[in-house]
Amino acid sequence: MISSSLSNRLIFVLSLFGLFVSSFLFYEYNLQGSVICPIGTGCDAVRISSYSGFLGISIPFLGILFYFAMAILSVIHVQKTFSNLLLQLKLVISLCGVGFGVYLTFLEIFVIKAICFWCVLSFILSCIILLLVILDRRNLY
Amino acid sequence: MKKETKWLGVILISTLILLFGSMFLFTRSNSSKAVAGATVSQIDYSKGQKIGSDSAKVKVVEFSDFQCQACLVAKPFIKKLRIIYPDQVQFIYRYLPTPGHLYGRQTAYLAEAAGEQGKFWEMHDKLFETQTQWTALAEADAADFFLGLARELDLDENKVKQALEEDIFKSKIDDDIAEADRIEIDSVPTFFVNGRKLNLKSFDDLNTAVVEELKKNE
Repeated sequence: MISSSLSNRLIFVLSLFGLFVSSFLFYEYNLQGSVICPIGTGCDAVRISSYSGFLGISIPFLGILFYFAMAILSVIHVQKTFSNLLLQLKLVISLCGVGFGVYLTFLEIFVIKAICFWCVLSFILSCIILLLVILDRRNLY
Repeated sequence: MKKETKWLGVILISTLILLFGSMFLFTRSNSSKAVAGATVSQIDYSKGQKIGSDSAKVKVVEFSDFQCQACLVAKPFIKKLRIIYPDQVQFIYRYLPTPGHLYGRQTAYLAEAAGEQGKFWEMHDKLFETQTQWTALAEADAADFFLGLARELDLDENKVKQALEEDIFKSKIDDDIAEADRIEIDSVPTFFVNGRKLNLKSFDDLNTAVVEELKKNE
């Protein structure tokens, strides 16, 4: 079983990595020309589709908010005060992140029919974060 | 406050400063809000596959590749333009097969062969509609698949086969690539509206650029 503090540190590191990924994508979305996409040309197809925003907010910006929230919660969580509340918050936010990732991946495969490398990478990161939060919650009981 | 909290806090703040600082610096040097660029490129309008009248006020040129996913995404937006402005806009399709795309050139030959028999746009639509199928095929299977598309459109199969095997449209495709090179395009899809290169953030901007150009020509 993974200890609570190790899980918290891992979530922090993954959130920082996620912040880099979504900030890079946010930057690329605001540039002219092609998005740097290590695999295929799917990043451009996704960016230029009408699903590159949600309620008028660009998806990478939502990613930045998600990873920032997870990182800041991990920093506060070191203190062990309000541990229960913080874990609940982490669970809710990471569930939202993964849920949104599932929705976006579904759109990429079935609607846009193109896969964006960075979006998939971010989805995998959010899944690992959720898994760590769930494992951490089990330490409570 | 625990030491670890302080450390993590410092790392987080430093990361944020680094990320947003570099984004701010890089974006400042790249920012431009106009959809269409200021420079008018000298495009040879006698070339390419056209739809719409030659006397249309607005000429939209697309450099595209049938194997490109973003070009596939662009297709419905172009179709929308053709429906909204049937008389005001002429749409011109030019080839720019991406070197890394296995079937970029072959599909261009196939479309040209169809065009010679008066069915370029039918083949254009078919190639994009079936893009996910043929991109996954091995070369031998892909050739059969392409001939199947030709049969579906009632094209002369022998002529299509000849086009695919003997590179008879090679010079036409090379001409398009040379023109793309001359006007400094290296990615697809790239759009021009009356010769001005578009800086698209979304394909909805295509409509914006066309409207801007129509207003100028009123």
